[in-house]
Amino acid sequence: MTAATLDPSGSVAAVPGRSAARPVRGLTFPGVLRSEWIKTWSLRSTVWSLGIAIVLMTGTTALVAWGGSTDPVAGELSAAELIGPGGYFAQLVLAVLGVLTITGEYSTGQIRSTVVAVPRRIPALAAKAIVLAVVAALTTLVGVVTATIAGMPFHDGLGVTLDLSDGETLRLLGGMPLYVAGIALLGFAIGALVRSSPGALGIVLGLLLVVEQVVAAIPLAFFDRLEPLLPSNAGSRLVMTQANVDALNAASVGVDLGPWQGFGVLLTWVAVLLVLAAVLLRRRDA
Amino acid sequence: MIEAIGLTKRYGSTTALDHATFTVAPGQVTGFLGPNGAGKSTTMRMVVGLDRPTAGTVTVNGKPYAEHAAPLHEVGVLLDAKAVHRGRSARSHLRALAATHGIGRARVEEVIDLTGLGSVANKRVGGFSLGMGQRLGVAAALLGDPQTLILDEPVNGLDPEGVLWIRTLVRYLAAQGRTVFLSSHLMSEMAQTADHIIVLGRGRVIADAPVSEILRRAAGSMVRVRTPDAAALAEALRAPDVEVASVESGLLEVTGTTAPAIGEAAARAGVVLHELTPLTGSLEDAYLQLTADDVEYHSGGLPGPAVNGVPAHAAPAPMEGAAR
Repeated sequence: MTAATLDPSGSVAAVPGRSAARPVRGLTFPGVLRSEWIKTWSLRSTVWSLGIAIVLMTGTTALVAWGGSTDPVAGELSAAELIGPGGYFAQLVLAVLGVLTITGEYSTGQIRSTVVAVPRRIPALAAKAIVLAVVAALTTLVGVVTATIAGMPFHDGLGVTLDLSDGETLRLLGGMPLYVAGIALLGFAIGALVRSSPGALGIVLGLLLVVEQVVAAIPLAFFDRLEPLLPSNAGSRLVMTQANVDALNAASVGVDLGPWQGFGVLLTWVAVLLVLAAVLLRRRDA
Repeated sequence: MIEAIGLTKRYGSTTALDHATFTVAPGQVTGFLGPNGAGKSTTMRMVVGLDRPTAGTVTVNGKPYAEHAAPLHEVGVLLDAKAVHRGRSARSHLRALAATHGIGRARVEEVIDLTGLGSVANKRVGGFSLGMGQRLGVAAALLGDPQTLILDEPVNGLDPEGVLWIRTLVRYLAAQGRTVFLSSHLMSEMAQTADHIIVLGRGRVIADAPVSEILRRAAGSMVRVRTPDAAALAEALRAPDVEVASVESGLLEVTGTTAPAIGEAAARAGVVLHELTPLTGSLEDAYLQLTADDVEYHSGGLPGPAVNGVPAHAAPAPMEGAAR
């Protein structure tokens, strides 16, 4: 066969032999992290949704502050509480992003490339989760800063001041990135379990928008006890004032959770679902 | 080097692969051939750990794929052109893969150039043609400069130039001493590229031999003889395992002996020969013969060539390539 001498593109000879100049570092976890970092920023849809999350947070906060400043009967809001509604939107965007981070790999077939490169699989899942959490937290942090700035012109009208030395203000502002990262991871874990975008999106959005809201309305003691333990009901206590948390606890027959305890419950959900996802990832064919 | 022992994969009641045992040796191109649904892709997916075997084991370069410290440097695999997120550019896809193994940008650019993707490397993969997707898959497979390459239907969707490029590439890689394992459902493609062929039918290995051996098996070897004295020649050739068929007046087809033997017999008998042509069965015939009973989906009705074991006619060896 004469094929070895055929060279239509003139480039076959460029298949290098094992070049001694190229060190073989092999598969490492920092490498996998870098890979997932590159993947995150090389999808336009990701960059767009992060931008949208920041714009939504900022815009919503400005609207809330403006509305509050022109409506004297509006309830009392602290400066840090103004970002709450904006944070609510940001969590939805990031929850969707968390789902698509993993289900997008299944729907496009990318998961096969990922698993071939990281055949033990768990490091890829872990790296994805870490990168997602960091990206979600950083994005929300930026959103918190821009939203707070956007609310400032209305502080006088609202009669509030931003006091960064106040512990609760710091918890409300600093807790938002943590809470949103937790919700993004919740979406990610459910996406990893379900593997289909529509299915996982339905579950996550249904859980956040519907189930957690209506569960308390079911007149059975079991659901009343369950309600405060649902992921977002528990986790969102981290971004509520102590007064609101106390009111929630008083109104509920379920367990009383403080802000950080609630966040711990959210993280527990995430951890359990991620472990389950990891086990299934190892066992299922990719 | 790929070694499969008793490799079996069942999906529910369907057996995709049934105790397949074979070895893919380095330094040559091994063709993996079989009708659609024979289990080729399943086998290749199990080699790189995408699917877990129901039974049996498969190792690459002496270890299960997942146990290598640098899998991409051991095995490069093209499973299908669609193993890429559509929203990412070719370059970003390759950079992300490379990052897992600490492979630098220079190598990414190298495989982009090598596969001719330079002009589209920054475009999103979603807009790629099938051929471009295949080139990207090959680029990903070569990224780690691996000792073993597994290519599932690599010429699928490629234009003639691309087909030629793949052929040249795999021969070149094998000549460097690498293991090249290449699947196709097209025998003609294998005839152009492979040194050794493993034929799979309904999940079982039904042939595992050098190309020449597979050819020899095809329809035995037949010799066509043209002579004005057919009766005398038939008499001179009479022997227990020699079969002489008279195709038309003065034209014989002889099986069970060789062209030189016929020539010598004719000389001894003083018979004049006008033609003496050894006929080799084509690889295509051999393939059809081997897989006749093992095709998962038989097409009904249409009169096709020689599906029933006996080739329509043995054709002289070089056959039409897939590059048309």
